[in-house]
Amino acid sequence: MDTAKRRLDTLDPKQAFAFSQAALQDYQECRRRFQLRYLLQAAWPAPQAEPVREHERQIRRGERFHRLAQQALLGVPLDRLDAVAAADSDEHLAQWWQNFTRLLPELQGEQRYVETLLSAPLGRHRLVAKYDLLVLSPGPKLVIYDWKTGLKRPRRAWLEKRSQTRVYPYLAVKAAAGLRSGLSLLPQQVEMIYWFAAHPGQPEKILYTPEQYEKDERDLLGLVHEIDSLSSNQFDMTIEERACQYCVYRSYCARGAAAGSLTESDEEFEPEGEITIDFDQIAEISF
Amino acid sequence: MNWTRPQRAILDLPSGSRAFVTGPAGSGKTTATTQHLLDLLSSGVPGASILLLVPQRTLASSYQAALRTPGAAAGGQVDILTLGGLARRMVDLFWPLIAHDAGFAHPVLPPTFLTLETAQYYMAHLVRPYLDQGFFESVSIDRNRLYSQLLDNLNKAAIVGFPHTEIGERLKSAWSGESSHLRVYDDVQTCASEFRRYCLENNLLDFSLQVELFRERLWPSLLCRAYLQNTYRHLIVDNLEEDTPVTHDILSEWLPEFDSALMIYDEDAGYRSYLGADPSSGLGLRDLCTDEISFTEPLVIPPTLEGLGARLGQVLDQVQTLPPGLPDGLEALDYPPEPIRFFPQMLDWVVDRVAQLIDEGVPPGEIAILAPVLPDALRFSLTNRLDERGIPYRSHRPSRALSDEPAARCLLSLAELAHPQWNRSPSKVEITYALLQTIAGLDLTRAHLLTEICCRMREGRLVLEPFGRLRPDAQSRITFSIGERYEMLRSWIEAYVADPEAELDYFFSRLFGEVLSQPGFGFHSDLDAGQVAANLVESAQKFRWAIETRAEPMGQSLGQEYIEMVRDGVIAAQYMGNWQPPAADAVFIAPAYTFLMNNRAVDHQFWLDASSNAWFERLYQPLTHPYVLSRAWTPGRIWTAADEFEANRAVLYRLILGLLRRCRVGVHLGLSDLNEGGYEQRGLLLKAFYQVQLAAGKDQANG
Ligand code: SF4
Repeated sequence: MDTAKRRLDTLDPKQAFAFSQAALQDYQECRRRFQLRYLLQAAWPAPQAEPVREHERQIRRGERFHRLAQQALLGVPLDRLDAVAAADSDEHLAQWWQNFTRLLPELQGEQRYVETLLSAPLGRHRLVAKYDLLVLSPGPKLVIYDWKTGLKRPRRAWLEKRSQTRVYPYLAVKAAAGLRSGLSLLPQQVEMIYWFAAHPGQPEKILYTPEQYEKDERDLLGLVHEIDSLSSNQFDMTIEERACQYCVYRSYCARGAAAGSLTESDEEFEPEGEITIDFDQIAEISF
Repeated sequence: MNWTRPQRAILDLPSGSRAFVTGPAGSGKTTATTQHLLDLLSSGVPGASILLLVPQRTLASSYQAALRTPGAAAGGQVDILTLGGLARRMVDLFWPLIAHDAGFAHPVLPPTFLTLETAQYYMAHLVRPYLDQGFFESVSIDRNRLYSQLLDNLNKAAIVGFPHTEIGERLKSAWSGESSHLRVYDDVQTCASEFRRYCLENNLLDFSLQVELFRERLWPSLLCRAYLQNTYRHLIVDNLEEDTPVTHDILSEWLPEFDSALMIYDEDAGYRSYLGADPSSGLGLRDLCTDEISFTEPLVIPPTLEGLGARLGQVLDQVQTLPPGLPDGLEALDYPPEPIRFFPQMLDWVVDRVAQLIDEGVPPGEIAILAPVLPDALRFSLTNRLDERGIPYRSHRPSRALSDEPAARCLLSLAELAHPQWNRSPSKVEITYALLQTIAGLDLTRAHLLTEICCRMREGRLVLEPFGRLRPDAQSRITFSIGERYEMLRSWIEAYVADPEAELDYFFSRLFGEVLSQPGFGFHSDLDAGQVAANLVESAQKFRWAIETRAEPMGQSLGQEYIEMVRDGVIAAQYMGNWQPPAADAVFIAPAYTFLMNNRAVDHQFWLDASSNAWFERLYQPLTHPYVLSRAWTPGRIWTAADEFEANRAVLYRLILGLLRRCRVGVHLGLSDLNEGGYEQRGLLLKAFYQVQLAAGKDQANG
C-alpha cells in the first residue's frame, strides 16, 4: 500500500496543526468542510459562486488592491502607484486607490508592520495569522488594520462573530514579542480596524478588552480541544444548508449542483491570504 | 539531548557571530542548527526577522516540522525561502520601481510571472517559426526537451551571473566535436535573445528574468535593500553547497548586515550541479565569517561503510590515500548469492530481502529502495511485489504529466466533445474511456456499447445521441440507471455547446462540480480524481492568465490553444499531490537524488540496477552544458572526452558518499546481467565495486 496516498481524516495525534482564522471559521460553519479542506486536504475544483467570471474578478481585484497598499506602505513612490492604479482595467480599483491614498496619512506610528505573520502555541497546536498592517505607537498601542475589498459593507454584528475578529487581536497580544523583542501588550492596548476600500468613510473599529481576551483564549482552546477529540465520523455536515451554496464541496456532500449567486451572498469573496511558505516555481529536482 | 562538541559550539555561539559550519552529511549539523533556530525564538528574537534560506524546499522539512511544534516560542513566523522565491517576492513587490528602467514596454501594467509550463509555451510559440526555417536541424531531440533546454540556458546565465547574450559563444568555445554543430549554438543564442526580447515587450517574467531583475535592479536599489535589511536581522542558510553562485554573491554582500548568521556547508556534496549548484563559490563565504565550526565525527555512517566509501573513492581516483586501519566495508555490502540473469528476478530478490529484514525486526521506514532513475514501469513492478507481500511503502516521484492521469484525459476528451468549433473530435476509444471514468458503475463492455450506439457524426462533428432514441433492447442492456446518468452528462454538454464559455478552466470547473462529482458519477467522493481535476483547472487558469495579456491576436481560442499544448506535451501540466501524507513507517522508493534531497538517513539502502550507466552519466543535452555554463569554467577551454570521464567519476563518487553517509547499517546491491531493457551493462559503479572486492581479496591473500 502506497502510504504517500493516504490522507488523515482527524487531527494527527503526533503533529501540531497550524490553525488560521480561516480554518477556525470553516470549522464553525461546517465541521465536514474543515475535515475536507484541512485534514483530508481535498482539492475540489467546483465553482464557489456564480457568475464565475465576476467571482474571479472580485478576488483578483482584491489581490491587486492589497498589493498596491503594501507597496505604498513600503515606500514605493506614490506617483508610480497612481499610474499603476490608473492603468488598471478594473473600474473599481482606481477609486479604491484614491480612497486609500486619503487614508495613508493616518497610518503613521512608531513602527509599521506590513503583511506580517504571527504565530503562537495554542494547546498542543499553533495559531497563525497574517496581518495586512500593524501600526505600533508609543504607549504602547497597536492598531490592526485589515483591508476589506468586497463591494458590500458587512454589518458590525456579522464582523464581530467572525473568527478573524477573535483571532487577530488575541494573537497580537499573545505574540507581540514577534514584532519587537521584549514587546508585551495588554489587551486594552490593541484595536482592530476593518477598513472597507469601497466604503472608506465607514471603517469598523473594535477595541480589545481583557475580558474579551480571556474569553477568546477559553473559546479558542475549547475549540481546538474539541477538534482534537473528534473521531473521523464526527465531522458532521452542517445543518445550515445555505452555507453549502457557496461551498465547493457541495457535490461531494450531495448538497446541490450549481453554485450560489454572488449578489445574494453575505459572504465576502476576498483573496484567501493563505498562509503558505513561498517557494520558487522551479520544478522539483529532476536529474 | 547529548550534543557533540561541534553541536555545542553551534548552540553556544555568542550573539552577533557569523558562523560557517562544515562537515559531512549525517554529522548532526542540521539537528543543532534547528535547535539554534528554536533558541533564537525563545530568546525573544521575532520569528519574522529570521530568514532561513535553502536551495530547495525539501531541504527545509526538518525546520518546518520543528517550527510547527507547540514548543516553538510565540512570535512572528520564520520566513523559509529559496533565492528564487525571494527574487520573485521582491520583483512582485517593487515592480513599479524597476519596470521602466529594466526596459519593459508596459511598466504601469502588472507583470505576468511565468510558470515552467507557460514559459515553455511562449518558447514554443517563438521557436516554431525558426524550426520551419531549419533551426536545430542537425539535432534529433524531442521538441519539448528542446524548449526546456533553451530555457535552462537562460536560467543558467541568470544564476551563474553572466549575460544571456553570451550563452551561444560560451557553448561554442568549449565545443570539440564536429564543426557543423557550432551552428546549433548560434541558433540557441538567437532563440534565447528572441525570448528575452519578447518577455520585455509583454511584461513576462520567466525564472531567469526574475533572478536577473533581483540581482541587477532590486538588490542595488536602496528601497529594496532597506526593506530586506530591516525585515531580516538573522540568517540561517542550510546546504549552502547546493546553492548557486548568484545566491553566494548576494549573501557575501548581505552577510555583514545581519545581527547573526549561521551557514551550513556539506562537504563532498553539490548534487544539484545540473541546476547550477556551485560548492566552490559557497565555500568562499567562509572567509567572511567570524567563527568556523567543523564537524568531523559522523553520527550516522558506521566505520564499515565509511571504509567502503573511501575504497570506492580510491578506485574512482577521487581519494588519494586511505587512512590507516580503515575496514574494507565489504561486510556491510549485500548482493544476490548467485548471479541473476534477468531484471525481474533481481526485483524478486530485492523484495525478498526487504521482507526478510522486516521479519527480522527492521521497521519498514528504515529501508529505502533507490534507483538512478525510476520510470513508471519499474515503480509499478516494484510496488506490485511489495503489495503482494503487504509491505507498506512510500513511493516518491517529483511529478507526473497530467495527461497520464485517466481523470485528466477524461476531462480533456469531454472538452473536445463540447467545443466542436475546435475541430478536434475525440476518438471513439477516448469517448469510451471518458464514459467509463465519468459514469459510476459502468463497465468497459457497456461503455463500449454506449459509445458505439450513441456516438454519431453529425454535420462534421461528433455528437452524443439521446438515450431515449436507442432501441429498447439496447436501453435495457445498458440499463436505465446508467442511461439516466449518461443523459445528464449528454444534456449538460448539449446545453454548453449552445452557450459555451470563453474560459476553458470555467468549463472544467463547472463540468466537474455540476456533473462529474455529483452522486452517481465517477468523480464523486474520489479525492484523488478531484486532485487531478483541480490541477488541470489550475494549469488551464494559469495558462489563461499568462496568455490573455498578450498584445498580438491569436489565431484560435485560448482553450483550444491550451488543449493542443497539453496534447502535444508542451504543457506537461505537472501533477503533484498537494496534500501532506501522514508520517508513515513505510519503505521509501525514490530516485537516488530525490532521496539525497530529502536529507534523511535509513538503516538499509537497496541500490537497484547497480550496473546501469544512469548512476553517473548525464542526460543527453545537445543545447546546453552544465559544466561549460558554470562559473568554475574557464572561458575558451575545450570540453574533452577526458573531462566528461572525469566529471562522471566525480559525480558518481559524490553520489556514493552522499548515500553511504545516510545509511546506518548496510547496502544491498540489486544486480542482474541484463538491465530493464534486456541489455548487458557494466557501468562504472559496478566496476568500482568489483575492483574493491578484488583488492580486498588480494589483501586477504597477502595478509
Ligand atoms: S457542502 Fe455543505 S455540508 Fe458539505 S462541506 Fe460544504 S458546507 Fe459542509
